[in-house]
Amino acid sequence: MGNGREITPGVVAWRKNLSRLQAVGIDAALITMLILMGELLVVAFSGRRGDTGLLLSAEQILDLLHYAWALFAGLGLALVWNLFYRFLGASPGRALVSGVPEWERDLEWTHTLRGWFVAVFIELTFFAGWLITELQLVTFLTKFGKAADIVRGLMHPSASVLHEGLVLLVQTIFLAFMATAFAIPVAFVLAFPSARNLTRGSAVARLAYIVSRTLMNFVRAVEPLVWALIFITWVGIGPFAGVLALWVHSVAALTKLYSEQIESIDTGPMDAITATGASTLQVLRYGVVPQVIPPFLSFTIYRWDINVRMSTIIGFVGGGGIGYILKPRVDLGEWGEVGTLVLLIAGTVWMMDIISAKIRERIV
Amino acid sequence: MSADPAVRTEDLGMVYPGGVRALAGVDLEVREGEFLAILGLSGSGKSTLLRCINRLIDPTEGRVWIFGEEITAASGGALRRLRRQVAMIFQQFNLVRRQTVLTNVLSGALGRSRLLPSLVLSFAQSERERAVASLGRVGLDDRAGSRADTLSGGQQQRVAVARALMQEPRLILADEPVASLDPALRHSVMRHIEALNREEGLTVICSLHDIDLVERYATRLVALRDGKVAWGGRPEEFDRDTFREIYGEEAEPASNSGF
Repeated sequence: MGNGREITPGVVAWRKNLSRLQAVGIDAALITMLILMGELLVVAFSGRRGDTGLLLSAEQILDLLHYAWALFAGLGLALVWNLFYRFLGASPGRALVSGVPEWERDLEWTHTLRGWFVAVFIELTFFAGWLITELQLVTFLTKFGKAADIVRGLMHPSASVLHEGLVLLVQTIFLAFMATAFAIPVAFVLAFPSARNLTRGSAVARLAYIVSRTLMNFVRAVEPLVWALIFITWVGIGPFAGVLALWVHSVAALTKLYSEQIESIDTGPMDAITATGASTLQVLRYGVVPQVIPPFLSFTIYRWDINVRMSTIIGFVGGGGIGYILKPRVDLGEWGEVGTLVLLIAGTVWMMDIISAKIRERIV
Repeated sequence: MSADPAVRTEDLGMVYPGGVRALAGVDLEVREGEFLAILGLSGSGKSTLLRCINRLIDPTEGRVWIFGEEITAASGGALRRLRRQVAMIFQQFNLVRRQTVLTNVLSGALGRSRLLPSLVLSFAQSERERAVASLGRVGLDDRAGSRADTLSGGQQQRVAVARALMQEPRLILADEPVASLDPALRHSVMRHIEALNREEGLTVICSLHDIDLVERYATRLVALRDGKVAWGGRPEEFDRDTFREIYGEEAEPASNSGF
């Protein structure tokens, strides 16, 4: 046998070069970010003013930065650091990819260039973040008055909307339930090709892994709110659109949770079932499924809980449920009625939280 | 009985991804009906050798024959058909902990069961009777309905023996079957494996690291060192001096009283 399965010196050298390249890439990215954050701070504190005579806003500064130059410098410095790592110590990228050499391991962070680099990087991230998100502590502490109206309204819930609210609350809970229930079988099937430990066997399995993972990551990256807008134009405003939106998102979320659970199973029983001459499906049924059912149940109940919360927001854009009547009252400033609805939602979420925690405690 | 040996390996070698060599040039021939013990320190390649025989691990070099058929050339249905003849017993028992003892034993019959009924845990009545009988042979028929993880270690390993028996194999691979058990319970499990060898005429290949157990149960011994066969012969010819010669002055042969 031995048809190309041995690890040849060529493969070893190739892997070594690949990890060097990765290290330089990571370092270049980090150093570039450091340079850019530094430039941002310098520009922000230089007192430069824009065309209107006002101090530059965060967006304007971000627009001014020299990205190409920073990337160029970052690449250069990363190359230098990786070439002379014997004198400069392992770079962050090198440390991530190939680990830290023995002699450097016991050094205090203040005695390594990497330590200082990381410390400065973290500091700068906070300063830059403060400027970019335009944090204004003074405004936060002094301008409370405007919001007080809303808080006052919320504290005095009006009973006029209570009946309608309760009815739609029932719809919300069922909306979340249907979305979760329909998500279970799809996620259950997709979880197996999405688990790394089950898909090492063949090229087909590895392809299935990549396809399902990529697809699920994409679906999960799209907010349920966006899915709701898509389904509202598809099936019309109402709870069905909400069910579909939460269903799509739940499939992706549950697939990820399920597959991670499959990845953490004990492989011993799988080996034992494989050794009996069982087929792949039988190995999954006997060696994997019994191990993952209780955590699957636990995740599913948790997901239902999350879906109840999310359905409120989905309702805002027309996905049915209690959120649907909340939106117009917020727009009109009917804070008393908003208060009633918010209390209903909060109460439900709180109860769901307690119930799902109790059930999950029992299962695992 | 056929003239083919139960197991034959030719120049068997295994290098794990990452470059660790576990086996190198192992030539082995196990005749039908033998009780072959494999002795060796941890990391000497015992587990890898056993797992290469039923292809739980794919060897990177060499070939393996089971009863004259080359398992290293088989795939799909042919591989599963060959595996059906080879039952395996593991150090960590590898029962499905959340299922009943009976279902664990029944899973030994999966290789010959029809796919769809087996996926809903449905087995023929004759298989159920056979499973209860297998449990009876290891003295656990009264625990058939218990969940596997409620049993003690020694009982779990006996369930694993019953599962192996259920498979109706011609060869049993046992990977340190008693290493995780209390020394006092080792013979109870080893005697059941011995019974399969003596009474059913099954071939047994069993890795052990306890010389006393080897002398008591095995008909032949192969000692591994660094993935190679360092010694082979009858257990009674393997004395403590030979042990030190192979494994160095540091190594002390484990005895029945402990490790």
